[in-house]
Amino acid sequence: MYIEPDFIDPLVVNHPLTHKLHKQPYQICTRTVMDTSDPLIEFDENGICNYVQKYENWDNHIRIKGKDSDLYLEQITEKLRKEGRGKDYDCIMGLSGGVDSSYMCYFVTKVLGLRALVVHVDTGWNSELAVNNIQNIVQKLNLDLHTLVIDWEEMRDLQLAYFKSGIANLDVPQDHSFIASLYQEASKFNIKYIMNGGNMATESILPPSWGYDASDSTNLLSIHKAYGSRKLNTFPIVSLYKYLIFYPFVKKMKVIRPLEYIEYNKNIVKQFLINELGWRDYGGKHYESKFTKFFQAHYLPTKFGYDKRKAHLSSLIVSGQLLREEAIKELKKPLYDLSELEEDRIYFAKKLNISLDEYYSIMFKPPVEYSDFANQVATKNMLKKVFQTFNKFRKL
Amino acid sequence: MIVIIDYGLGNLGSIKNMLRKIGYNSEISSETKIVDQASKIILPGVGSFDTGMSKLNDLGLVPLLNKKVNDEKTPVLGICLGAQLMCQSSEEGELNGLGWFDAKVLAFKGRFDSGKELPVPNMGWLDVAVKKENVLIGNLPLNPRFYFVHSYFMASNQTEDILLSSNYSFDYTSALHKENIYGVQFHPEKSHKYGFQLLKNFAEI
Amino acid sequence: MRHRIIPILLLKNNGLYKGIHFKDHKYVGDPINAVKIFNDKEVDELVFLDINASCEQKEPNYNILRDIASECFMPLAYGGGVSSLEMIKEILRVGIEKVVLNTHAVRNPLFVQEAVKYFGSSTIVVSIDVKKSFWGNNYNVYINSGKEKTNLQAVEWAIELEKMGVGEIIVNSIDKDGTLSGYDINLIRRIVDVVKIPVIAAGGGSSLTDFVKICKHHKASASAAGAYFVFQGKHNAVLITYPTQVEIEKEFDSFVELIN
Repeated sequence: MYIEPDFIDPLVVNHPLTHKLHKQPYQICTRTVMDTSDPLIEFDENGICNYVQKYENWDNHIRIKGKDSDLYLEQITEKLRKEGRGKDYDCIMGLSGGVDSSYMCYFVTKVLGLRALVVHVDTGWNSELAVNNIQNIVQKLNLDLHTLVIDWEEMRDLQLAYFKSGIANLDVPQDHSFIASLYQEASKFNIKYIMNGGNMATESILPPSWGYDASDSTNLLSIHKAYGSRKLNTFPIVSLYKYLIFYPFVKKMKVIRPLEYIEYNKNIVKQFLINELGWRDYGGKHYESKFTKFFQAHYLPTKFGYDKRKAHLSSLIVSGQLLREEAIKELKKPLYDLSELEEDRIYFAKKLNISLDEYYSIMFKPPVEYSDFANQVATKNMLKKVFQTFNKFRKL
Repeated sequence: MIVIIDYGLGNLGSIKNMLRKIGYNSEISSETKIVDQASKIILPGVGSFDTGMSKLNDLGLVPLLNKKVNDEKTPVLGICLGAQLMCQSSEEGELNGLGWFDAKVLAFKGRFDSGKELPVPNMGWLDVAVKKENVLIGNLPLNPRFYFVHSYFMASNQTEDILLSSNYSFDYTSALHKENIYGVQFHPEKSHKYGFQLLKNFAEI
Repeated sequence: MRHRIIPILLLKNNGLYKGIHFKDHKYVGDPINAVKIFNDKEVDELVFLDINASCEQKEPNYNILRDIASECFMPLAYGGGVSSLEMIKEILRVGIEKVVLNTHAVRNPLFVQEAVKYFGSSTIVVSIDVKKSFWGNNYNVYINSGKEKTNLQAVEWAIELEKMGVGEIIVNSIDKDGTLSGYDINLIRRIVDVVKIPVIAAGGGSSLTDFVKICKHHKASASAAGAYFVFQGKHNAVLITYPTQVEIEKEFDSFVELIN
């Protein structure tokens, strides 16, 4: 039902280009700060969006809490330890220098007491803060760090291809390389358990239209074919077969999200990291990568009218870590300090090896859907159906 | 417009870059037309005293610089060799300097006390001690240090012109100031956060 | 006075690399981002050496040097196959302060003298790559990224270079390179004792203590290292680090003069 918005985002309402991408008329959720810049959003009779219902459904019916979650953690730790006997590591995890992965390093190795291979994937955009955080975490926790440095020329070519394509999720090259690299390293070291820092407490909300799935290698390669100019010889890619079948069923690898089973409060975690592990905060989510910062704080809002802060803040609201008024106050702050934007834009163009003129002409090309390029959606849907039918038969 | 004098010596790009980063446009030029319009002047320089003065003379810039600096009181910042050229003469060369400071340029070699010799040129980071207050050095981060690379140093006859001093086996002048004229022996464009603040202060005069 | 602590980064085909004994180079990543990180860490100075240039006799990639220089607000030196005054001029023009000569300094000493005359002492640095002879008595000078032995001795060559007016000398031990086992103190001392120009110690630097000691005790003007700043931990994971100003001050201040 339509309810008059108490906060109007000028980025969404006045933007000439993105009008067609969003749902009309402008409306903002009365519980969270998600709004009609997500074209698939729906509101109930109280003006509350569907994401809230989704979260509450999870929280009430699916989530493992209290003693059950402690038990789960105990059991999974025991299992990993047992299976890790005779091997060098019990599990593997990625470390980016951000809050979640930094806390996970501490939680998995010191609280659960597991032996972890810690992997940092260097995509060429680390900020000094990220590198400093990684150094402090690794040194203070005495961890074995491995770094995978993606060939920069290939990464640049792929990122430039994505930029030229005009699609929303520019961060697929970085994200896909993380996923593929972690699986490759796990495979190399014969590790079955991948610890992932994802959690519903702070990341439950993310509209699918704001960024397509980074694991889709078909989409990646098709965009690269259209706009790339050099071969991807060493760039880590994980195929659909490997991602859906080989790694989970043949190699029997499993992704575990330990932060899902604890009371994960962002502020408390940050304070702990700062006090105990010399961690430094850098403002926005994922801003440890200079590319991601530019992508989320400038590219996405300017070209698509998508402000990812709404998703991050809304996630914190539904999990009770933030008040809606505080979220609105945050949203009123500008995404980018103007002089910093100028500097970051120059750096962005410099890294991608394009002139500022070329940058502007690409930036103001009309936005494009990922589905304009070959992708795995149909295949995945078909496989899902097959799997569901297979399961039905199994139960009989 | 801040004009960075291009007389063929010195790392002009770095100065322009640092100014841009703190939000100021500047122009690198040796054309009299442009220098004449400058609201502020930076005189950079790396190399020998005579080469520097010859180049300035050949470009016909000396009379114009005298007019801008002495008559029109345009703020001017000399960096390294640029600062030395503002003195009257140098032990490194034969030619006369611009003479804006009542100072001479002396060699490090031969001036160290016995047993306290240090390598020449002096290349590296040194602390600076404030000798008098001035806007150029306001708000510098704590324990300011700058990057030096030189074999000769300025020695002023007027104590009140001494702005900063540093120590390289002995104390010597690292910056001079008189009215609108500034000369720093070090390279602010290579002294990251300290240089940023100093150039910002100059740009805001 | 605080002696400089200088990372030496190796360039090959526009990428950063680091090796051991000048071999088995491991890919470290994008030089531009690396410089940006070092700049944010307020590093004292940076040296970039192109390890292919000498062999391939190519011109430097001025575009990438310009991009690197534009991210640097501290002194930057570049070397690798520099063989002409024109090249030096171009390198300085893109925003680099100092040029490092090595192979061509040996092949054509007159070139060094001309460069010093034209550009000034403080702009010209010469790097000497040194390997101990089999019996350990001599320190032989190698050129061409350590592949070619010359009949020069490191000490004699250093004295020659000072005479030619070179501003600084980098003394790099090939035996110690990439090993993180400490400097070849004997080598560094021999050179420091015979010249009055700044000597930068390189090869094997493995800790803040090494950096401070080679300067305060063994009288090098500055210390340099490669592996220490780009590798982390026992698996040599690529990670850029640099001590904080506080850590450096503390180490320098707490250094106690040892009796020789």
